[in-house]
Amino acid sequence: MIEVRNLTKKYGDHKAVDSLSFTVKQGEILGFLGPNGAGKSTTMNMITGYISATEGTAEIDGHDIFEEPEEAKKCIGYLPEIPPLYGDMRLLEYLKFVAELKKVKKSKQKEMLDYVMKMTSTTEMKNRLIKNLSKGFKQRVGLAAALIGNPEVLILDEPTVGLDPKQIIEIRDLIRELAKNHTIILSSHILSEVAAVCDKVLIINKGKKLVIDTPDNLSKRMGGSSGVEMKLQGEEGMIKKALLSIENVTDVSINKGKREEGKVYLTVYSSSTDEDALSEAIFYTMADKNCPILQMRPAAMSLEEVFLEVTKEDTNYMSRKKKRLLEKEKEKEEV
Amino acid sequence: MLAIYKRELKAYFTSMVGYFFLAFFLVFLGIYFVVANLIQALANFEYVPAQMCYLFIFIVPIITMRILAEEKKQKTDQLLFTSPVSITGIVLGKYFAIVTVFLSAITIMLFYPLILSQFGTISMGMAYSAILGFFLMGCAYLAIGMFLSAVSENQIIAAVLSVLVILITNLIMGIASVLPTDSLSVWLMLSFIVLVIFGILYWNTRNLTVTLALAAIVEAIMAFLYVSKASFYEGLIEKICSWIAIASKYDNFSSGILDLQSCIYFISVAVVFLVITVQTLNRRRWN
Repeated sequence: MIEVRNLTKKYGDHKAVDSLSFTVKQGEILGFLGPNGAGKSTTMNMITGYISATEGTAEIDGHDIFEEPEEAKKCIGYLPEIPPLYGDMRLLEYLKFVAELKKVKKSKQKEMLDYVMKMTSTTEMKNRLIKNLSKGFKQRVGLAAALIGNPEVLILDEPTVGLDPKQIIEIRDLIRELAKNHTIILSSHILSEVAAVCDKVLIINKGKKLVIDTPDNLSKRMGGSSGVEMKLQGEEGMIKKALLSIENVTDVSINKGKREEGKVYLTVYSSSTDEDALSEAIFYTMADKNCPILQMRPAAMSLEEVFLEVTKEDTNYMSRKKKRLLEKEKEKEEV
Repeated sequence: MLAIYKRELKAYFTSMVGYFFLAFFLVFLGIYFVVANLIQALANFEYVPAQMCYLFIFIVPIITMRILAEEKKQKTDQLLFTSPVSITGIVLGKYFAIVTVFLSAITIMLFYPLILSQFGTISMGMAYSAILGFFLMGCAYLAIGMFLSAVSENQIIAAVLSVLVILITNLIMGIASVLPTDSLSVWLMLSFIVLVIFGILYWNTRNLTVTLALAAIVEAIMAFLYVSKASFYEGLIEKICSWIAIASKYDNFSSGILDLQSCIYFISVAVVFLVITVQTLNRRRWN
C-alpha cells in the first residue's frame, strides 16, 4: 500500500532523513517512533508531497508521489503536527472547503461531512468559529479534515498531542476503528500509545531507520528473559532466599522505593522466557512458605526501555537485563 | 481551484479586510470625483482614475499582504499542498479572488460616468477606457503584491515590500530623468547594479564559485560591449527604467486614449508575476 524507497532529505549538508525504506501493507497501523528531531515529521511531509525529497521516492497505492502527485494525494488523508485550520472559518464551512478541495462529489458531500463529524464527535460544534475551539477540538477537526474523501491511507503526525487523557483514549479508539478499512502511519514519542494501537513499530533516530518490528517482538528481542513484579506479605530476607531457590531465577531485586509495614515489593528475573511457568513456580514456593501473594504481574521489558536502548548513541542492542546477567556472572567468577 | 477561489473571496468579506479596502477606495474615489468633476466642473471622468493611481501604494498591500504569507505562517499551506490540487490551481484561485475583490470596487466606479452624464454630455468611451486601464494596472500590481506575499515570512514584510515596489514604479521615471545618459557612466552604473544582483544571489545560494564565475562572465560581456559598441549604452538606463515604470504606462489613458500597448503590457506583467509566484512556491518545496 505504501512503499518508501531510499527516501533522503538534505538541508544543506545536514541529512534530516537518511535513505529510509519501509513498506506498510494494507490495513496495517505503523507506529513511527523517534526522539524529537529524528525526522518523523520530515518523512511524513515527504510521503504526503508537502516537501520534495533529495533522493528516493514514496509510492502510495502504486502512485509515485513525485511523478503523479494528484493521483497519489487523492489516496492520502494527512493530519500534520499543527492541524492546518483557518481560524476565521466555521467548522462546517471549513470541512466543506476541504471536501471541495479534495473533489468530493457534490451529491455525496453532505453524507461525507456528517460521517466525519460523527466519527470525530464534533457535530455539536459545527457552527463554531474554529479559532474559538479548544486544542482538543482543533485536533479533532484536523482529523475530520483528514478523513474527508475516505482516503485509503491516513498519515497522522502526533495525533494525541495536547489532548487530555479522556480524549487520548477516544482518539486511540477512533484510530483502531479506522484501521479496519484504512492503512495508517502514526507518529508519536509517547511509547504506550504506539504499543497500544500499532501492528508494527518503526524506530528512527537522526533520520536513520533503526528497527522495524511488531511491539511484542521488539520487547522479546530486546529482553530474551522475563520478569515478574510482585507484592508479598512476609519477611524480606526469607522471601528473597526462597525465590532465588526457584529454577532459572537469576535475580530478585527488592523495590526499596515502596514501603509498607510487613509487605515486600520486588521483581523476580528469570533466564527463561516462559513467564507462566515462572509465575506458577513462584506461587507454589510462596504458598509453601506461607507468604500470601498480594499482587503479581509480568514485568515484560516495556517499549520505553526498548526505545531508550535503541536510540542510544552507541546503538547498543544489548538490554539492561542481559548486562545485569553478565555482571552477575563476573561477580560469581570473582568469588 | 474553485474551492480556493470561493474560500479566499469569502475570507475577505467575513473579515474586516474587504470592507476596509472598499471604504478606503470609495472615500478617495468620492473626494477625487468631487474635486475634479464637481468643484472644477469638468466633464472628464478620466482625470479621476489618473489621480487615484497613487493609491495603489496603499490599496494593493491591503489586499495582497496576507494572501500567501499568512498561509505559510499558520501552516495552512500544508493542507493546500497535500490536497489533489496543482500549485498553479492554488495560485490562480487566490489571484482571481483578489482580482474579484478589486473588481467589486471597480464596479462601483463604473456608475460615476453615468452620474456625470445626468448633468451634461460626457465622452463615455474616454471615461470607460480610463477605468479599463485602471483595472488592468491594478491587476498587474495585485500579481506583484501576491508574489511579494509568497516570498515574505509574514504579512508586515509583504506589505512593506509591496509599498516599496509600487513606490519605485511610480518614482523611477523621475529619478531616471536626472541620471547621466552618456555611455561611460551608464556602463559603470549597470556594472555596479550587476554586482549588487550577484551579491544578493550569493547571499541566497551561498555558492561562491558559481556566482563569481557568472558575475565575471556578465561583467566581461558588458565591458566587451562597451569597447566594441559604446553607443549601445547611451540612454540605456532610462530605457530600462521605462520598462519597469508601470505607473507611467497609464499616461495615455488619462488623456482619454485606449492604449492597447499598455493593456498588453499590464496583462504581461500580471502573467509574468503569476508564473514566478508558482515557481517560488514550487522551489520552496525543494529547500
